Amino acid sequence: MNLTVILRQKMGQLFSLDTWLPTELPEYATGFMYTLGSLTASSFVMLLLSGIVMAANGPQWWTISGIGFFVRGVHFWSVQAFFFFMVMHLLRVFFSGAWRGGRQRTWLLGTLALLIAVPTAFTGYLMRGDFYSQWNAVQAKDGLNALGMAWFNTLNAGQMYGLHVIVFPFVLGYIIAVHIAMVRIKGVVPPYPTHEELKEQGAIKPLNKKEGQNVSSGR
Amino acid sequence: MYHPDVDVTHRYKYAPADFVKHLLSTTVVVAILTMTLSAIFHEPVRPAIKINQYAKQHPVEFVRVAMGDLDGKGEIADYGPPYNHGTRMVQDFVQKAVGILHPVYPRQAFVLKPLEYASVLNPNIKKYLNRFNEASRAQQKIWENNYAHALSHAHYNGAIVVPPGSYGPVPGMMQGLLQLGQSGLMTGALDRSPADYQFDNQNSLLFLQGRPLHHAASKLELKGNQWGIIHEENAPFPGPWWMTIVTAIYQIPFISHASAADAMALGSGMILFLFLMFAPWIPVLNRLPRYLGVHRLIWRDYYKKYHAKDFTM
Repeated sequence: MNLTVILRQKMGQLFSLDTWLPTELPEYATGFMYTLGSLTASSFVMLLLSGIVMAANGPQWWTISGIGFFVRGVHFWSVQAFFFFMVMHLLRVFFSGAWRGGRQRTWLLGTLALLIAVPTAFTGYLMRGDFYSQWNAVQAKDGLNALGMAWFNTLNAGQMYGLHVIVFPFVLGYIIAVHIAMVRIKGVVPPYPTHEELKEQGAIKPLNKKEGQNVSSGR
Repeated sequence: MYHPDVDVTHRYKYAPADFVKHLLSTTVVVAILTMTLSAIFHEPVRPAIKINQYAKQHPVEFVRVAMGDLDGKGEIADYGPPYNHGTRMVQDFVQKAVGILHPVYPRQAFVLKPLEYASVLNPNIKKYLNRFNEASRAQQKIWENNYAHALSHAHYNGAIVVPPGSYGPVPGMMQGLLQLGQSGLMTGALDRSPADYQFDNQNSLLFLQGRPLHHAASKLELKGNQWGIIHEENAPFPGPWWMTIVTAIYQIPFISHASAADAMALGSGMILFLFLMFAPWIPVLNRLPRYLGVHRLIWRDYYKKYHAKDFTM
């Protein structure tokens, strides 16, 4: 087993131009429904950009400076946009049965991104430094303590700051990047075949009514 | 049976696309959207509750909170792991197993130690503290109990006034602590770090976490049974609505009245989420979208083009 060869094979596809810069897409993957994932990724980019500006200026900046307050506002609305588009995207891919055709892991990573996004946003709410931060810090501690997660000390602003500005965004960004790469490598899930298409392919027997109903989908 | 291999169509073509332009467009849209929203609506801010503000506005309540910390009957004094050996807030064995990760003993940390700092500025406090420390634990308990009971009849006229009784030095100590609280120095006395740099506000938040914060939160409808997790404190701003399902679980009486309410609510929220995560492998759930039929709308144009004959809405 040559680890270098295995990595070359995996990374060759993961970082290829075809994966990240396609020049053609399936014709069914067009329209507003297919911009929801991109809008989620774009919201994440806005979160990173506004977050980097805030992190560079220190954790008091947005409470004492007009520009800081504006950038914090962009960050706030970006997280609202991020979750809005992500949930819309989730609904679209769910109703599309997007795990079909060997795309289960792509779905799993997408839901994992949603799961990780929750504490990422929550630690951000703890950074506001206002009553909402105080209240959420003390309210969340009981549940976390009860689940044996006391290590995650919501009352420790330093720990929450570190988690919010580097640990969670790094993990979330990584998951999103691999999710996008897998969407590209596997391709966007094609529509459900119609009953007739399945019959033509011999996937279902025309006379077996019960079987046919189970498999057909497009009608 | 689930047919993952035959359950995708093979009738489609590829069309030319500009992926970079697509991504740039969505980013520009989101940038304009978020900057406009920030410029017009700003964002929610409600000033933090400060200890000095609370001590000035609610002096009697402040002393009640401090007495709970001194006599060990307060919420944090009797909390349990990860703060101390109390029992009041222990919801399950996992919490116990983790142990005391962030030691907090409010009698010392919230009352006696801050009073020691204050006694440098006010020698009277030193006098009361010495008398208290020299007394037996039994005597201290009698003073503490008497004064804690007397506080239900207390009022404030520049100092806490209670009916006459045997309280020892406790009223003097509490008056000293109230002054420390009102001065604005109490937060610094509570949040102490072994290094001088201060990144942790655990103790000042734990001091405030009971009545002071609950009183303010209740008025803003932020409490758990008021769907508080997803409320923004300043309506009409959107709150963290993505926590709606967990918040809804908290409203179920069976869970909200349970002693392990937090563990049960968060735990069941997580189990529901696992169903979503593993939907592709869960029978019935993995075929559900096909029967729901929403995909006919999503790929409406596709089905019209390729399956005009056998496609019916």
